[in-house]
Order: sequence, then structure tokens, then C-alpha cells
Amino acid sequence: MVQDLLNATTLASIYILFALGMSLVWGTIGILNFAHGSIFMFSAFVAYLVVQQIPLGMPAVVAIAMVSGALIAVAMQYLVFQPIMKKAKNPHAGELQLVIGGIGLSAIPISFAQRSTLSNPFGFSGGSFETQVYTIGGVIITNVMIIILIAGLGLGVGTALWIRNSKKGLALRALGVDPEVSAMMGIDRPKLALATMLYSGALAGLAGALLTYYFNSITSESGDTLLLKAFAVIILGGVGSIFGVILGSFILAFAEFGVLLYTDGSWVTAVSFGLLFLILIIRPQGILGKKEVRRT
Amino acid sequence: MMGWIDQNEFLIGSTLTVFLLAISIQIPLRLGVISFASIGYYAIGGYGTAILMTQHGVSTWTSVVVASVAAAVVATLLGFIIARLNGLYLAMATVSFSLLLSAVAVNGGSITGGAIGIFGVIGGITIWHTAAIAVVIIIFVTFTERGKLSRRIDATRVDSQLASAMGINVTAYRRLSFPISGFIGGLAGALAVNLKTAIAPESVNFTLVVLALTIIIIGGQASWVGALAGSLFFVWLPEILVFVGEWEEVVYGTLVVFAAVLIPGGVVGLFNDWRHRRSVARERPKVALLEAAAGESDAELTQSRSGKDG
Amino acid sequence: METSEATKAPTYDYEPVAEARGVAVHYGGIKAVDGVSLGLRPGNISGILGPNGSGKTTLLGALTRMVELTRGSVWCQGQDYSDVKSDRVITLGISRTFQTVRLLPERTVWDNIILSTDVVFKREGDKVEGLVKEAIARTGLEGLEKARPDELSYGMQRRVEIARAIAVQPRLLFLDEPTAGMSRKERTDISALMRNLRSEGLTQLIVEHDVGMMVETCDYLYAMNFGSLIAEGTPQDVVRNAAVQEAYLGKHGRHDA
Repeated sequence: MVQDLLNATTLASIYILFALGMSLVWGTIGILNFAHGSIFMFSAFVAYLVVQQIPLGMPAVVAIAMVSGALIAVAMQYLVFQPIMKKAKNPHAGELQLVIGGIGLSAIPISFAQRSTLSNPFGFSGGSFETQVYTIGGVIITNVMIIILIAGLGLGVGTALWIRNSKKGLALRALGVDPEVSAMMGIDRPKLALATMLYSGALAGLAGALLTYYFNSITSESGDTLLLKAFAVIILGGVGSIFGVILGSFILAFAEFGVLLYTDGSWVTAVSFGLLFLILIIRPQGILGKKEVRRT
Repeated sequence: MMGWIDQNEFLIGSTLTVFLLAISIQIPLRLGVISFASIGYYAIGGYGTAILMTQHGVSTWTSVVVASVAAAVVATLLGFIIARLNGLYLAMATVSFSLLLSAVAVNGGSITGGAIGIFGVIGGITIWHTAAIAVVIIIFVTFTERGKLSRRIDATRVDSQLASAMGINVTAYRRLSFPISGFIGGLAGALAVNLKTAIAPESVNFTLVVLALTIIIIGGQASWVGALAGSLFFVWLPEILVFVGEWEEVVYGTLVVFAAVLIPGGVVGLFNDWRHRRSVARERPKVALLEAAAGESDAELTQSRSGKDG
Repeated sequence: METSEATKAPTYDYEPVAEARGVAVHYGGIKAVDGVSLGLRPGNISGILGPNGSGKTTLLGALTRMVELTRGSVWCQGQDYSDVKSDRVITLGISRTFQTVRLLPERTVWDNIILSTDVVFKREGDKVEGLVKEAIARTGLEGLEKARPDELSYGMQRRVEIARAIAVQPRLLFLDEPTAGMSRKERTDISALMRNLRSEGLTQLIVEHDVGMMVETCDYLYAMNFGSLIAEGTPQDVVRNAAVQEAYLGKHGRHDA
């Protein structure tokens, strides 16, 4: 029982790391990034390629993944999302182009990774990191799990507090509420958007590396699966709410574990879609979200 | 000619069913509804037909019609449930709807054939039948692309608030798009399962949505011509260029990104812009003249404004 | 019901074309409009004056049923239309323009204008063409019927909006900053057009922050600040009002809403 709770919490922490950046980007600069999953996967893939050549330790691998993620995200923002937003005749038209652009973008790294790995799972077995297993009172915990828990919960709560309390955080929230007002406040929107994307990409890279360590390997398609789960996490908690991401991650992870315990497991993938569909019908603004002021 | 058609029957059939699927996504899209639900309708149409034909001995055409109508009914319900959501929220809801259905397909036991799916759906539907159906759909869609109705549809998509100020019942139009999209999507699935004689969960997953969206974006959102052009392009390109076959996803992805950034109106949009420019080119001098008569320069305008405000 | 006092029918010595009775529109904690009552004089050009963020446009939104009322009610010809959906408002004879240009970019000027008549004159298709032609003539858009909005100057685009609003032959016309971004000559033209329409009996309500234009054009002025009416009367009276000068003229441009 304690073991299950611990495993579910670890899973929730991974969801937090993955969904945090996505939620931030959506809630502030208004981009629902369909390519977030491929950033996540490709960062881990880049780290994998490096580790194949040089047997690096965990900090170096994580750093490589985070830098790759940040670079990919910034490139996407700069080359694709920003031009679309600039050209859009109205926000609604822009919305669709952004979704489409993201979907198109995500296909590119995934198919590169697929071809290069022949769709086989890949991991950091070439590296020097060793997983340590500790048993405390019958509960098994690994050093990877500890790192994931610290990173997920720490960054989740830290980001939430930062957004809530810092001046830059306020600027970001203003951006999310009303781009026009934020322009009046003297906020440099493109710069802030780029910074947000950078942070979001780095988090995706971190999540990619840690998940790979946790499961020993991931596949080229792992990003897509997580992307769909992240939709559920973000909407459950409420778009733009970082505490909502934490809450949503826990709800999803525990629900999935519950389903896993009581069924044969093949319905686990449906949990996220089911929850997503349900919350959209019952309370589209999410558990912690406020009713949207903006109109279509 | 006939020989060529016989040789390429499968590709022609694929083009037509993909075209129908694209139309199913395009109809709500033209009203500003980003819906991924068509994949779910496609699954209902496909699985419905396969189950009726192989497990209940229902005749081919009855199965096709029943399954398509079932998809339309489900779509109607879905429309009522999620109509109040807007923009991306609705998109999300439709994604989850479609993926829930694919989870049902995987977990459906002997009815859906689980992960393996259903085989041996052989009903004697030829590409001529499929082509005839596609023509009927095209005729229907053409009506929505002309005159008053197309104007209202455009207004609803471009600016729903403006549309309702113009007296257009935006919610009703959007809601109506669901059963139509559902029926056509179901039909696409029903015909596809007959073409391929089989259906499996992986043929109704997210990749298919991406393909259909890609088709519309490259071809153009506003007209069936765009959907057809896109379908032809994407079904035949990998056949013609082997290189593209190998790097299919990279090529598609890049094309989609380019289209999203550079030509939001798709190829058809580009063509319309060109045609419009050509038709007004003659009147350009007149426009300039009228403009000059009506207004002063922008510089002076700004000056007069700031002068007044200061 | 908290509304009883606020929405009690006020008495006017004229029959208002449209009325707001204790209208309030709140977004969460923000009180965009907070208890406004006014009755529009028939055949007049009325104006709402106020700095940015004073709630003018939101009030227009309430009167055209585009924003939800938190409290109060809106009336047209003695009928409460608070529960009428925004797409039925145009059939009540209420037409409007928007603060920003809202035209269909891929449609011609003609199509953009005829759009307003599509639903209202659904069964009188043959009369529509004449109405559109008239609207085009009145707004000085002849010869531009086939142009697309992005081929026109900003001022011309605004004219298309006005043409669209009057093509449907409304009883009441709301104009949200009709001359914003226009040249001096265009402003004079639009002002003349509005007075012309008034002489034909069309009641109008303009929202503007250009005081000069308002004083010149309007018969009656309302001044708003922080979501409430702070003054009303003849243009001269309102402009001279101390509260208005303090709120608006004195420190114009310093309200960041």
C-alpha cells in the first residue's frame, strides 16, 4: 500500500515536470504546444546519443537534456509560434494555426528518433550512473525516485510561488489575462514569451531525462502519450494555475494506479481521456481555475 | 484508363475515404470549431460496419448506413454536451472523446477483436460506389460554399461575436455541424473498412487525425477543393517519391509547419488571393483615387489625434 | 431580489428608444459597469464620454446583449430584452459598430456590408441589394464594392463597418468610437453622416473619448467613470461639469483602467 502510494507520487512528480512548462506556456502566452511531448522525447534522445559516445554521469546527462529541450523550445517559438502569432488576423485564427504548427513540429523529431532507433526503446545504459535501491521498512525506493520526487515537487511548488509572488510572475500573469493591458504595463511580450518557452523546454528535457532513468528506457512515442496525459493534468487543475498542475498530476497518477490495481491494466490509458472528458463537461475551468473572463 | 484504375484501385479508394474524413473535419472547422472528433466518428463507422457485417450478417449497404447514422447520432449528443466549450477546450474534449473510443476498441473483447481488430469485411463496395458517394457529398458541400450561407459560415468562423451581432445563431450553426460531420466521418470509416477489409485500433488513432488535419491545412480550410487537393497530394506523394515514403513524417511535418506559418489559407486560399488580386488589378487606380479623396495622410491623422488628446 | 430598487422603471418625459435600468456588469472583482440607468431620447444623437476603461464599451456590450448582466435590465420600446440572445438584438432594430475594425478579411466590401441584412431580411432578399447600395453611397464607398478590407485604409474600413450597421435600417444605432483613427476630413464626413441619419429619425448612441467630436455631434451627453454615470445633460453642461473635468479632461490618459 505504502509502496503504491510512493510509486503514484513519483509518477505524479513526473507529470508535474512535464505539464508544468506546458501549462505555463498555455496560461500566459496562450500557446497550447502540441510539440511539447516531442521536445521531451528528443531531449532525452540527444542525451542518449551523447551517452552512447561518452559515459557521463547523471548531472551531465540531465544538463544535456535540459539544454537540448530549452534550445528546441526556443527555436520552435522563434521560428514558428512567434511568426504565426504576429501574422494572425485575430486570436482565434491564430489558435488553430498554433495547434497545427505544433502538430507538424512534433512529427519531425519523433520520426528522426524513430528512424535512428528503428523504433526500439532507448536509455542511458551507456552512462556511468547506477541506480541504487534502498529498502526502508519493506518499501522500495531508488535514488532516481528520490531525485524525481524532489525535482517534481520542488520545481512545482517553487514555480507556483514564484509566479504568485515575484514581479516577473505578475508580468506573466498579466500576459495571460490580457495581452493589451500587459503591453500598457510595459511588458516586452516577445521576450517574455521566449523566456517562458525556454523554461518550459528545459523542464521538458529534465522530465525526459529523469523518466528515462526511472523506466530505464523510453520510446520515440513516449512524448505523445505524456502529451495527452498533460492535457488532462492541466485541464483538471485549471489552465494557468500552477498549483492546479500539481493537483491535476496527483489526481491523474493516483487514478491510474487505482485502475491498475483493480483491473487488468489495459484501461489505464483511458483514465486520462476519461478524466479530461469528464472535467470538461462538469467544470471546464478546472478545479482551481477561475471562470474565463475572456470571451471568444 | 480502366486498366490504370484497376491497378490503382486501393490508392484511389484511400484517396476518397481520406477525402471524406477530411471533409468531416473541415465542416466544423469552417465554423471555427477545432474538432478532432471525426476520428471517433470514423471509428464508429468502421467498427460498426465491420461488426454488423461479420458478426450479424447484415448486408453491406445496410451496415454502412446504420453505422454512419450511429456516428451522426453520437456526434449530435457530443455536440450538445460540449457545445458550450470554446476554442482549445472543445478541441481537447474531442481529442479525449476519440481516444476514449480507441480505448474501447482495444478493450472491446470479442466484439471489437481487441488489439487485433476485425478481419474479413468483404462486401463488394467498388471504388465507383465510393466515388459516387464522394460526388454526392461534394454537391452538398458546394451548397454551403455559396451565397448567403457561405457568408454566414465565414462570419461564424472568423469572428463569432460579430456573427451573432449580425443575427447569426452561432451556437445553432456550430451544433448543426456535429451530426453532419459525424455522418460523413462515419461514412468515411465504413467505406474504408470495406476497402481494407479489416479494421484495428491502430488505424483509428491520433495519427489519422494528424493526417486529416494536414490535408486540410495544406489544401485549404475553406473549400472542399482544398480537402480533395490535399487528399490527392498526401495519398499519392509517398507512392510517387520513394524518398518521401521513407521520410514521410518529416516531410509532412515540415510541410504542415510551413503551411501554418506562411499560408494559413492553404493552397486554395493562395489561389483565391491570386484570382482576387487579378480581378481588382484593373480597379486599383480607382481605389487609390477614392482613398486620396476621402482621407488625408496618416501622418497628419496621427498629428491631429495627438493634438486633440494632448 | 436585490434588483428591485435599481430596476424600478424610471420616469422620463419622453419615450426612450432603449433603456438601461440599473445595469451592472462585474467580472470577478472588477466592476466594469456598476449601476447605470439611462434612457435614450428618440431621434437624438446621444454620446457617452469617458476615459479608457470607464466602462463605456462594456455598457454598449450590455445594451447589445454581448456581455452578461450582473444586475439590472435593458429595455427596448417598452420591452425587457435582458434575456434576449445577442443574435436576436439586430432583429429588434438595434445595430452597432465595434471599437476595433471587425470585417471578414477574405470577403469583399459588398459581402461585408450585405452580411448584416442576411438574417434580418431573410425573406425579402430582393430589397437587400438596394439597401446595401444606399449604405455604400451614404458612406462614400462607391467603387470599392469589390475591394477586400486589407486593401482599404483604416478610415475606409471603419466606413465599411458603419455601412454594414446602417444597411439593415436600424431603429437604433450604436457607434463605438466611430472616428477613431480617421483623418480630420473623414471625421467631418462621418459627423455629417450621423446628423443626416438623425434628420431621418435614426436614434444614435456614440461612445467616444474625442470630446471635440462629441460636443459637435451629440444632442445629449452622458459621462462615465469607473463604471458609473457621473454627469449627463447637454454637451455644454457636461463638458463644464466639475466632476467630468476632474475625471476626464483634467487627467486624460492617466487612467490605466
